[in-house]
Amino acid sequence: MGNRQKWALGLWLVFVCAFAQNQKRTDVNLQEVVVTGTGTQHLLKDAPVQTEVISHRQLQQYAGRSIEDILSGLTSSFDFNENDMGSHLQMNGLGNSYVLILIDGRRLHGDNGGENDLSLIDPQNIERIEVVKGASSALYGSDAIAGVINIITRRHTSQGLMLENTSRVGSYGDVRQHNGLALNYGRVSSYTNFQLQHSDGWQNTSEEAPSQTEYHITDSRNQTVNRHTNWQVAERLTYQPTRQLEFYADGSLYRKRIYRPCGHHRGVDVKTYDLQYNNASLSAGGKWKINDDNFITLDADWKRHAYNYAYTDTTLTDGYIKGRFTNYYPYFPGDRELQSDQRLVNVLLKGVFSLPYEQRLSAGFEYRYDWLKAPMRVADGKATDNTEALYVQDEFSLLSPLYLTAGLRLTRNEGFGTRLTPKVSAMLKLGDFRIRATWSQGYKTPTPKELHYQYVRNMNGVYLYLGNENLKAQTSNYFGLSGEYSIGHLTLTVAPYYNKVENMIALVTIPTREAPGSLLTKYDPIRVRQYQNIEDAKTWGVDVTVRYQSRHFTVGGSYSYLDTEANQYSSEDEKQAKKKRKEEQATEPAMRRVTIDGMAHHKANVYVTWNHDFSKCYQLGVGLYGRFSSKRYYQIDGDGKGYQLWRLSTTHQFGEHFRLEAGVDNLFNYVDRTPHGLHLGTTTPGRTFYTSLTVRLNKGKKLTNKYKSNFKSNQNDEQD
Amino acid sequence: MNKIKNLMLGLATLILCAAVTACSKDDKENNSANGGANEPASRFEQYQQAVNNIVNSQKRSDKVILLVAFGSTWEQAYDTFDKVIDDYKKDLRFQGWDVFLSFSSAICINNARAGENVAPKDFYDPEHFLTAIGKAGYKKIVVQSLQVIPGEEYRRVRDSYVKDFMNNRNGDFTDAYMKSIDRQVAIGTPLMAEESDAQTLATTLNDEPDVQAAVQQGIVAFMGHGNPVGYDYYGGNIRYLQLEKYLRAIPTVGQNYYVGTVDMADTYAENVLEHIAGGTFTYQVGSLAETVTYPTNNATQAQLFVLMSIAGDHAHNDMADPEDPESWFSLFNAAGITTKAEETNFTEICWKNYDPTQEGYIPGLAERSAVRALWMKHTWNAIMTLGTDKALSTPTTEPAE
Repeated sequence: MGNRQKWALGLWLVFVCAFAQNQKRTDVNLQEVVVTGTGTQHLLKDAPVQTEVISHRQLQQYAGRSIEDILSGLTSSFDFNENDMGSHLQMNGLGNSYVLILIDGRRLHGDNGGENDLSLIDPQNIERIEVVKGASSALYGSDAIAGVINIITRRHTSQGLMLENTSRVGSYGDVRQHNGLALNYGRVSSYTNFQLQHSDGWQNTSEEAPSQTEYHITDSRNQTVNRHTNWQVAERLTYQPTRQLEFYADGSLYRKRIYRPCGHHRGVDVKTYDLQYNNASLSAGGKWKINDDNFITLDADWKRHAYNYAYTDTTLTDGYIKGRFTNYYPYFPGDRELQSDQRLVNVLLKGVFSLPYEQRLSAGFEYRYDWLKAPMRVADGKATDNTEALYVQDEFSLLSPLYLTAGLRLTRNEGFGTRLTPKVSAMLKLGDFRIRATWSQGYKTPTPKELHYQYVRNMNGVYLYLGNENLKAQTSNYFGLSGEYSIGHLTLTVAPYYNKVENMIALVTIPTREAPGSLLTKYDPIRVRQYQNIEDAKTWGVDVTVRYQSRHFTVGGSYSYLDTEANQYSSEDEKQAKKKRKEEQATEPAMRRVTIDGMAHHKANVYVTWNHDFSKCYQLGVGLYGRFSSKRYYQIDGDGKGYQLWRLSTTHQFGEHFRLEAGVDNLFNYVDRTPHGLHLGTTTPGRTFYTSLTVRLNKGKKLTNKYKSNFKSNQNDEQD
Repeated sequence: MNKIKNLMLGLATLILCAAVTACSKDDKENNSANGGANEPASRFEQYQQAVNNIVNSQKRSDKVILLVAFGSTWEQAYDTFDKVIDDYKKDLRFQGWDVFLSFSSAICINNARAGENVAPKDFYDPEHFLTAIGKAGYKKIVVQSLQVIPGEEYRRVRDSYVKDFMNNRNGDFTDAYMKSIDRQVAIGTPLMAEESDAQTLATTLNDEPDVQAAVQQGIVAFMGHGNPVGYDYYGGNIRYLQLEKYLRAIPTVGQNYYVGTVDMADTYAENVLEHIAGGTFTYQVGSLAETVTYPTNNATQAQLFVLMSIAGDHAHNDMADPEDPESWFSLFNAAGITTKAEETNFTEICWKNYDPTQEGYIPGLAERSAVRALWMKHTWNAIMTLGTDKALSTPTTEPAE
């Protein structure tokens, strides 16, 4: 019997066992309360906008080491390709810059090449994750062209003191620390969170792609994932003077360093600096609960994301000496040089009101100010951007079983004018069926970095990266349909979608000669890449999820089919087109039909979990998870190989205070050893082991006072 | 209860203070990096001291030749530069002269840092090098450009590094020293500084055995660098046209020669292919218009050569990369001409670790002893101007405040 047959038989047995369970139990997942699609609370099964949820129970069972691990392990809509420059998140074929990542409804800030730093999210402090595809909600920026990931953090509402520590260790020096301190006394509460993440990094191969280097290198020191350490401390204070009013203030500090070892192959693995990130945030806001159905919220955020080189060897770079520009400004080991400092001021005012005829109206205003300081990467060192948005959204339930949600978002950007984007969702409830449909328009103006940023990197030759001040704003039309069928323990969802993006902004390779002469003569690059609008980008596919949940067993899986297409500028075709244009007087640039980088046609996840309460003092959970991806396509530097990875996790709850998690990731020790310089399908180092211990202490009683009951409903379930 | 509240307030204050402190600290560091008006310049001086130490430790004479190249990260290029220095040190004309090599590319200098367990190769930029040379008290200084044309890179050497040095721009030297080096500093010009140099180079290249063998068989196309639009000074890019003119004027085989570049407009690979196909073409170099007529060349095979001092990224990627559909190699072959970018009959290979059993070879110009001799001749010519009005002068008047 071959391996495939063995696995098929094993999975079939698991299914049979699962279906053999007789205990009736409602699907816990569908009882989740979600907020992301509309900004108002709904049970997942009744959410008018199709929402995918990773519940706290799933998170605990999976025991993921990072947000990347969690998203790629528990849904098939996401893919990652972690390296120094970020996680390279993809959601249904579109990259991180099209995905709005929220933490409790507020933007995760700061990017490198459009990649958010997902280490800012403490995986141990997540209550649930909600995912909404497409720019479907008027409440969040229409720039969420691919969708929204809303990380809902845990709220600690017990009276008195709560102290929690989770320590997780794993292979390759993986260390994760989570510490929480909650203090709830009367109308005042405080929560302090500290997290630390560290990995020694790993190297899947020491070979460099022979086609990219002068000679065959088999002792490269380039790592697959570099050693890195990051920590974050965050504090949130809440004051509730009356039942109707609540104020909060929070702040955080974050540091991250990525260590880059230096080899001896010039231009290949010689590194003279590490990467260092400094983040900080301050926020304040409040909520006025007018009555049970109506409320107004105000949030003001200030966030900072600074990106530095931390020099490890003497390095010359551009700088000013006594006010005079030089190409030879020296840095020494221990010095730090700011590359970019992105700051954001974000103010959100929102009201939710009940109207006659079963309507719920949400209306609000958002102000956003982006400030970018990059002394050597932006002309004059600084760039700014102002965006304001007004939105209104109506949830209309009078036509039950048809539920309609319609929204309009009016966005004004200082450089790109005003744009109105409509969004319409409808849900038809027919017994155990839910049919949902969404049409939404997205609108994303170029970021200051896409417009103005320029820098060089040495990767087997000098690459010059250029912003483009002639970029146009991107618009999208998203069409989504979903059918959901729930009966007893079984839930089946089929969700096809089509997302068309006009003027998609992508980094493309342009002929060297088209770069500014001053930069060509200064850096002599071998390749020039520039942000450009590409035409008629489309992603389309279908997501299928199935889940069966009984008292002890949960079995399920998801599958995503994806295809993408875009018309990309082609310098080679351009040469031919130039001739043609001369003859025909045509003006269209030469375009080449391509897939969007990183796209895989087929992705899937399967899982089976078993939980049993042996006694009040000991509960056991066992989970087996598999994830699969077909080949990932790239325009240059090779395609990423398809892969399948399996994970076994166990959870052990000892009474109320102790919890142990242990498991094996990548059971069959799959490693992609594609040489450096070419794309990997996955960066996994092979089989890894982990164990984690959580200790949680409560000193106080459960919350019963009148203030805290309001606090709970505000904070635990609803994101404003 | 009050204690708890105080604790919370304390935590909040701590976070706020830390956030504000973190910002202001980083700003300060950034201002320093950005060279604020009050910056003490200590980093610059610290680095300068390291260069001074290198120059002082290797100083054997009062006369110095500073070779200036753009730089490279290729091992073959480093070995080529070593050969150039070796030639200078062995040449009887330059006995008694110290010889240093400088890179003008900061990225190439940084990459010469070799990392753990391997001794770093210390290359320095011309700006720091010239200051160190002055600080070491050298009395005769020749800065030899290893560029091919008098284009943007050469102008930066001449009009920035050397000019700043002669003007004592940073106030590093005493008036007495500046007076002592008046007309004792000269620049050795690039390979094709004058049209006559282009003519000489044409003859030299045609006499190279491997070039001669290739041109007997079919097309020979040289790929130079060139300057992009906006930097196409007269005297720079025009040299490529002049070189081609003299190559094509060579009897019998001359019509098989073509010269193109990476960055000079109208001389890209696709232009060279148009020239091979035949026709009349007009080049605009500044205000000068040159019209060249090419007869149709029906040769079915071609050999590419790099017209740069070393064979680095451009030679191996822009010219020879078979996987890049836009490389010269790919475009020529796609045009139906059986083209080779590498050769197997070059006898003066500088790259010490080259494995002849593995692949062909792309030689840089400076790997050809006959071409190195042309650069050295320019150095000698520069030396001969020392003490005359043809050498560089220091200002005779005080600089205005």
